[in-house]
Amino acid sequence: MSLTAPEKKLLNAITTKGSSAAKIVRQLDLIVVLILFFAIIAAFHIHIMLTVGDWDFWVDWKDRKNWVTLTPMLLIFIPAALSYPFMQKFGLPIAGTLCALCLVIGEWVSRILGFHLWTYFPYSMIWPSIAIPGLMLMDLVLLLSRNAIATSIFGGSAVALAFAPANWPILAPYHLPVVHIDQVVNVADLIGYTFTRTATPEYLRIIERGTLRTFGGESTIISTFFSAFVCMVLFFIWWKIGEWVTNLGTVPNRFKKMVGYTDEDDDNAKEAV
Amino acid sequence: MFMGLFILIAIFGIARWYQQWAAWDYGLDSTDPLFDKYWMTVFWGELIVEVILFFVFVTYFWLTRDKKLNELTPRKEMNRMIHWVSMLAVYAFGFYFAGSFYAEQDATWHQTVVRDTSFTPSHIFLFYMAMPVFIIIGFSLFTYAITRLPVFAKRISLPLVLTVCGPFMLLPTVGYNEWGHAFWLMEEYFTVPLHWGFVFFGWSILALAGLLHQIVKRMIVIMPKVVDEKGELTS
Amino acid sequence: MFKLSKMIEKLVLSMMLVVMTGVAFAHGERNQEPFLRMKTLHWYDAKWSVENGSTIQVNDEVTLTGKVHFFSSWPEVINGPSTIFLANATPGPVFIRKASYLNEVPMIQSTGAELGHTYEYRVILKARIPGKHHVHPMINVESAGGLVGPGIWITIDGEADDFVYSVTTRTGQVIDNLGSYAVQNVVNWHLFWAAVAVFWLLWWMRRPLLVVRFLKVKEGSWNELITKNDKFLGAFMIVFIIGVLIYANSITKEKYPRTIPLQAGKVDLMSLAVHNDGLGTVKAKQRNNDASVGVISKKAEYFLPGRTVTVEAEITNNSRLPIQLGEFTAANIRFINHDVDFAMKGVDEGYPDELVADKSLGVSDNTPIQPGESRLIKINATDVAWETERLSSLMNDPESSYGALLFFFDSEGNRMISELSGQILPTFVD
Repeated sequence: MSLTAPEKKLLNAITTKGSSAAKIVRQLDLIVVLILFFAIIAAFHIHIMLTVGDWDFWVDWKDRKNWVTLTPMLLIFIPAALSYPFMQKFGLPIAGTLCALCLVIGEWVSRILGFHLWTYFPYSMIWPSIAIPGLMLMDLVLLLSRNAIATSIFGGSAVALAFAPANWPILAPYHLPVVHIDQVVNVADLIGYTFTRTATPEYLRIIERGTLRTFGGESTIISTFFSAFVCMVLFFIWWKIGEWVTNLGTVPNRFKKMVGYTDEDDDNAKEAV
Repeated sequence: MFMGLFILIAIFGIARWYQQWAAWDYGLDSTDPLFDKYWMTVFWGELIVEVILFFVFVTYFWLTRDKKLNELTPRKEMNRMIHWVSMLAVYAFGFYFAGSFYAEQDATWHQTVVRDTSFTPSHIFLFYMAMPVFIIIGFSLFTYAITRLPVFAKRISLPLVLTVCGPFMLLPTVGYNEWGHAFWLMEEYFTVPLHWGFVFFGWSILALAGLLHQIVKRMIVIMPKVVDEKGELTS
Repeated sequence: MFKLSKMIEKLVLSMMLVVMTGVAFAHGERNQEPFLRMKTLHWYDAKWSVENGSTIQVNDEVTLTGKVHFFSSWPEVINGPSTIFLANATPGPVFIRKASYLNEVPMIQSTGAELGHTYEYRVILKARIPGKHHVHPMINVESAGGLVGPGIWITIDGEADDFVYSVTTRTGQVIDNLGSYAVQNVVNWHLFWAAVAVFWLLWWMRRPLLVVRFLKVKEGSWNELITKNDKFLGAFMIVFIIGVLIYANSITKEKYPRTIPLQAGKVDLMSLAVHNDGLGTVKAKQRNNDASVGVISKKAEYFLPGRTVTVEAEITNNSRLPIQLGEFTAANIRFINHDVDFAMKGVDEGYPDELVADKSLGVSDNTPIQPGESRLIKINATDVAWETERLSSLMNDPESSYGALLFFFDSEGNRMISELSGQILPTFVD
């Protein structure tokens, strides 16, 4: 697609240093960055906290099965949907990184002001999972491939494949064994037991409880690969949802005559939007 | 914009401070008369103020509408557009408090105490303050857009409708939430299906991308005309 | 970041201490329907290692002991106690849970209980956050929620910062303080990845974003949108991120060669159920004959304006000595028969006042019931607690039934406990 004559002129004007056009678009950029920052924290955080929240809140929920399987799957929804407008409309391969950063900022604010200062939980119990490496890899694959299918396969799977390796260096110290009142537990279990969650007792934890088929304790690897498979599919589905939402368009306004328009103005508007 | 952000910080900061002050002391037992004094009064107070503010803002923007939008100059339109976009930042900030700050804080409160009412110290600020605040801002922005900005007045933008109405639906979803907590799930884990209504309507903020797309497209139409006034539109 | 948060924390905590007031309130259990509270758990012999209203220091320990009985006529509408967890109802982790036992079995994990059985609980807490706190034992029952026992007030004095809880791992590592253990490592990793993300975002944000890029996309100038430098940096970042992940995991493996997954087993408690204090149930007539004291509820009424419950019950003494009714307890409220010395001795000084009726339990015929004798007696339990503990809201419930325990004492002071339950009828006029 080519630009119209005024658009070409506008592009020239903006790219001239110090022009008022450049200032206007930069001002718009910065306001939009602010909007996206807050809106993404809100939307991504509420999505994550209500789908994988408990695994994210508590150190004694971060297991090898559910946490590792579910978190990447649910991490991919919103970044994948935003990748479409970011990349296809603005050529920016940053949706994943931006979402992951916003998420971790929103989480830490809530962990410090809510979990720690309001309800007294210690930081060792309430740190959030880190999602940046996986979602950033997704962006990087999109940058290099500029292709939704390639990004589904290699970028989507990267979200899951990087999740456990990125979090294990943080979690490992909490999985040291401890013997406490004659019971073997790990440090994370002990933290969960020690610092009372009055309304969320031990049995509520949805964690790996053992089967006869996780041979050799390879739960993390099995979970990761399953999650990677689902992430591939989900990236593509949410990319399409992003496409749909971005191009929703308009419907007629029955009240437009009350602000000075006539029926003929409709067509002009169609061009504009 | 900065004024708006500042006001929101003030409102939510005071609310958070109040929670710290009154939640443990007066907010654990809803049968206690002090609960009525320190919490239900806040609840009814904020409800009344919010309903009034909602109608005041929306009516104001409608009654003071631009009745000659077809004669609007590009420069004025651009100024209005940038002003409106900056107020979207205030809307997003309001949504942040409801979607992230008070929402996750709700988890820690209910996982820590035994819930005995639908109007807990956490809910009174999350559902009945943070949510109405961004709903008031959202509907005001919508009314502003269809009364002052040609691009949104000529035809109704679906992404704009979603950006405003989707998050609004979080508030009615509270009905499902309370029903579930009363009859269905007696314990607190946050990922229960009961909460997924909030997730679904939270997704609607994705339409913000479509809205930005429409804004940029409009800017490209009006900017050349504005820039031309300054003689920057050469070659 | 943590210094700042520590400062905020101190500020907030000192603010909290200033406003702490001594108002009596509960933990939300009062608003649970009475017919459910009276027919689920009955706590008795509850003791605390410190007096009600006493002040202790940060790091001091408190032990909660007593017995909890799982009512036989457990309401059908709520889940049975096949999965339960012994806990403490405190305002979150203001106390930490050092140890907890049911029948001396460690209760780090969840367990299951049987209806009609009684268990001995012991919970050891350690004071952590200064303030005035209400401390109850509690049992969480899966799908039913927290069922709270009687509570006392304890004030914690001192500095929250002085709290320490040290643990030694099985690998020999000493954890100085569980609450801050490995937190620096968490923060370091989060800051590292956040820095990488910020770098990547700034890399793009330094250029004009929206309008220019939109026009260039429309123009199809992808070479200007994503330059060779961008691609080169992108490829480098892929290698960098993967490299960091591999390196980080290899040093983690070296540093922590022995780790174990979260422990999820359920503790077996069934075989260790303690002696049931001679508990007889109303459910089956033949069991009544087996129990030390058989009790059948004939008629129960709740007189609203007078805050009085009256029960007519047939008592059968199956034991070898004469017995007297000493106590009637329901939903943690105790009505003591002042004429029975053994019953009066059962009320400790420190037991929460608001949970013991001021007036004596009224018993129509206080003369000892002889071995083998069956007698119809009328019990009268009057106290404002019916109102304050919101048991009077029976009238709002979809089921008008009640449950209680009766404590009988024989002439040698032996205690026999029986369950009592049935329909309860409202009375609005005297």
